[in-house]
Amino acid sequence: MANTRPLALRGLTTGFLAIWLIAALFPFAWTVWGSFKVEADFFSRESWWFAIEGTRTQAQTGGSFTLAGYEGAWIKNEFWKPVINTLIVTICVTCISLFVGTLGGYALARSGQRYAFWILIAALVFRAMPHITLVSGYLLPFFQLNIWGVLPTTIVVLVAINQPFTLWMLHSFFLSIPKDLDESALVDGCTRFQAFRMVIMPVMWPGVVTTGLFSFLLAYNDFAVTSMLLSQDNQTMIPKIASFLGSIQNEGNVMYAVAAVVSATVPLFVLVLFFQRQIVSGLTAGAVKG
Amino acid sequence: MPHRAFFAFIFPSLLAMVLFITLPIFSVLVQSFYVEHDAILTTVESCGPFGCDSETKVDTEAMAKLRADAPLGKFAGFSNYLNRNHLAVAEVGAIFSDNNGIGDIGARLMNLPFYRALAFTLAYCFFVTPLAMALGFAVALAVNTIPKLLRGPTIFVSLLPMIITPLVGSLILSWMFNPAGILGAGLQHLTGDPTLSLRASPALTWAVLLLYGVWTNGPFSFVVFYAGLQSVPQDTLESAKMDGATRWQSVRFVIIPHLMPLATFVALVQLMDNFRVFEPIVGFSAEANATSLSWLVYNDLVSQDSAQFGSAGATSVITIIGVLILLAPVLLRTWRDFNRKVV
Amino acid sequence: MAQIRLVNVCKRWGSYVGVDNFSLEIADAEFLVLLGPSGCGKTTTMRMIAGLEESTSGEIWIGDRMVNGMEPKDRDISMVFQSYGLYPNLTVYENIRFPLRVRNVPKAEHDARVMRAAEMVELGPLLDRRPAALSGGQRQRVALARAIVREPNAFLMDEPLSNLDAKLRVSTRAQIKNLHHTLKTTTIYVTHDQIEAMTLADRVVVMNKGQVQQVGTPTEIYDRPANTFVASFIGSPAMNLIPGHIAGGVFGADGMQVANLAAANGPVTLGFRAEDAQVVSDGGNIQAPVYAMELLGDATLVSVRIAGALVAVRAPKDFRIDIGAPLQISVPLSVVHLFDASTGARIAL
Repeated sequence: MANTRPLALRGLTTGFLAIWLIAALFPFAWTVWGSFKVEADFFSRESWWFAIEGTRTQAQTGGSFTLAGYEGAWIKNEFWKPVINTLIVTICVTCISLFVGTLGGYALARSGQRYAFWILIAALVFRAMPHITLVSGYLLPFFQLNIWGVLPTTIVVLVAINQPFTLWMLHSFFLSIPKDLDESALVDGCTRFQAFRMVIMPVMWPGVVTTGLFSFLLAYNDFAVTSMLLSQDNQTMIPKIASFLGSIQNEGNVMYAVAAVVSATVPLFVLVLFFQRQIVSGLTAGAVKG
Repeated sequence: MPHRAFFAFIFPSLLAMVLFITLPIFSVLVQSFYVEHDAILTTVESCGPFGCDSETKVDTEAMAKLRADAPLGKFAGFSNYLNRNHLAVAEVGAIFSDNNGIGDIGARLMNLPFYRALAFTLAYCFFVTPLAMALGFAVALAVNTIPKLLRGPTIFVSLLPMIITPLVGSLILSWMFNPAGILGAGLQHLTGDPTLSLRASPALTWAVLLLYGVWTNGPFSFVVFYAGLQSVPQDTLESAKMDGATRWQSVRFVIIPHLMPLATFVALVQLMDNFRVFEPIVGFSAEANATSLSWLVYNDLVSQDSAQFGSAGATSVITIIGVLILLAPVLLRTWRDFNRKVV
Repeated sequence: MAQIRLVNVCKRWGSYVGVDNFSLEIADAEFLVLLGPSGCGKTTTMRMIAGLEESTSGEIWIGDRMVNGMEPKDRDISMVFQSYGLYPNLTVYENIRFPLRVRNVPKAEHDARVMRAAEMVELGPLLDRRPAALSGGQRQRVALARAIVREPNAFLMDEPLSNLDAKLRVSTRAQIKNLHHTLKTTTIYVTHDQIEAMTLADRVVVMNKGQVQQVGTPTEIYDRPANTFVASFIGSPAMNLIPGHIAGGVFGADGMQVANLAAANGPVTLGFRAEDAQVVSDGGNIQAPVYAMELLGDATLVSVRIAGALVAVRAPKDFRIDIGAPLQISVPLSVVHLFDASTGARIAL
């Protein structure tokens, strides 16, 4: 076969790929491993073998592994509260975003009018807006209206901030569904909404799942909005981790933060594990159209 | 689609965007023209056994009332934009009228918070974007050569740096680069400098932040380019081979031109995302050595005594203008394409 | 069952004219074919009748109702799409039943009507499959069944055969013809294939660039094309068209002469069909070397180049000649069509 590569090239490719994979995976592996050690091992000036073998962990707790970090984060610092808040926020944001976004994305994909085009361009500009600049616009009005600090406000804001992205992505998924399908339905006797609900949505669900994943990620990964718009009691995971750093690091309990970080990372790993294909297709959906 | 149906469908989405994106932009614009109220001072006379003392104090009651009456603060015109914390017109003027060469200008500009943040933001944008794209392209080419069975797990691992919460990702790396972390300690060992640390070295801070940027942005380019590679026309590739093209020439003349439209798209998205770089600075606690425009806004909002809405507003408006400048080529091109289509 | 009437219907997008001033009455139970090259406005015309596209001006009547501004669902028509528009998530049975379901036809009737429609297009054993598991021809028949299940005012068919292979196209064509004969429903059929138009139509409307070129029965359109566009669009091979001049009743072009034409002097275009002329050994109107010879099976097509145009003639199937050899062609006066050289319009003889 003409496709066989020279040995040198093959070696180079494999070597490069190996380095990349280590760079991509090692920080996570290291942190997960280290989260079961004591701080003196995780941050060991003497030798990083301490972190691998857990020398100090053994000395301090008797075993090579310790759950002290997790205990401190989840029980002592009630990390489960922000976890529940995160759950509420991400689920609500994903569902509402999808509901609102499918309607809008469908309209944009099926209207050839000039204003539809301008709405898409406006969405592109909105998508580029740094979230923190929008947040600085929210604070005063929210204080005035006395709706600052609660989950519903944050959910609505995240839905709105995600809308430009959701619209673009769903719009390109809807474009890939042939127009014939809507038109058949219209001629067969459906109203626009019936055509959307009975004919288009059933074939749209792969696109909806993919977009939902990205809505979820946007809400889950957000720091700017959740850290500024939620009161101390209503905080979600990511701002909570940030506030751990402020308070705990000084007390020498960095391991709580490490444990919290690992806890927050696990759902993302699971997500990629199960939805790798959808994530890849979602990233490319925008590209193919864009 | 008839107009009425269109607007019925898009209404909720449009409403959300108008209320929570368009209005805040106006709100920010208005805020940027106001500053905090001056403190209202009262003189209180307190007489004790050793005579009377007059003391100047902030009148909390009057302040609360004033804040309630005019929550925006005091109208200040453009002063928020021009003061030392933003465009620093006076200071910049002074620097340019009296300096000891380019190096001096640079150094003194970097002492002004706005220009420091702008410098890092732009550096992050224009270093990370091309490097991350190059990394992504190289990984895509490499993954394309390995057996099908191994591709799934490779893609899984490659996605992780991108999917990770930015704050969490930067925390993980910052712990590793801590002088007591594995990479920080390793660096000290390599350079033989036991005091080398992120906190002590601005250069190292910048380097590590940029490295983080490439690490977290590379996978996006990789995925898009990898998908693009699957659709490279095999006919063209094979006819290039028949014409006698070497492996590199096929990449140069067939694959890269095929991926060019994708590259434009990736570059646009990455520039937009990198311009709002924010979480890494919090995660790495890098504010002493590197700040960004978004971080300036955040810092104003969380400042100790009371939030500086005016200052945050001014930085926000400048940032928004920056975004528009960055997007201008795309917007202009779309506008031209659109007009051509109509005529 | 209804007649359809279009009065001065126009469709414009900005300055682009899609359909220009289309007026036509389609009788009840008529099979009308809209024929023309792509982009001629035929599909747009049909979509305006269906309500999928709003006309810019003019009136559209179905039966005794003016349907402008009405939703497609209220016009009571059914349509077969080029790519069929089947619902991929529904079985064949559910696909056919869909129009009854959304139109709130009493549930008790559904099964009988679906089965009858499926029977008509011979879909019986496929009812449980999904569209993805069907061949192109089978999908096409599901689309037909879905259109007929409802017994609407009119059928609209948008190039329904263009995605089928040649063999299937012929048999499905016959099936559509037979269905129309059985159901006697007004049918408007869009195609760019002139053979489909000739075989199916009661009347053909030939369109080009948004304008109606000619309306007539297939025979009229074939035998008396109204202009050079129709002449060159209909027939296979297309009519030979040769630019030349009339002087004293004699048509002359480089390599060709036809006498005794009752037409005024001046430039004209002369046309005749390949099967109407003959290869002769002597005294032909055309004298030129052979350019190409193609065997068709039932005949041999011989062509020459004269006055810049390629001219083809049908010769008997065992006719053979070398390329470059001299050829004489006789064009009888009775088969000659004359067209105005500048407008292309037919000149009466």
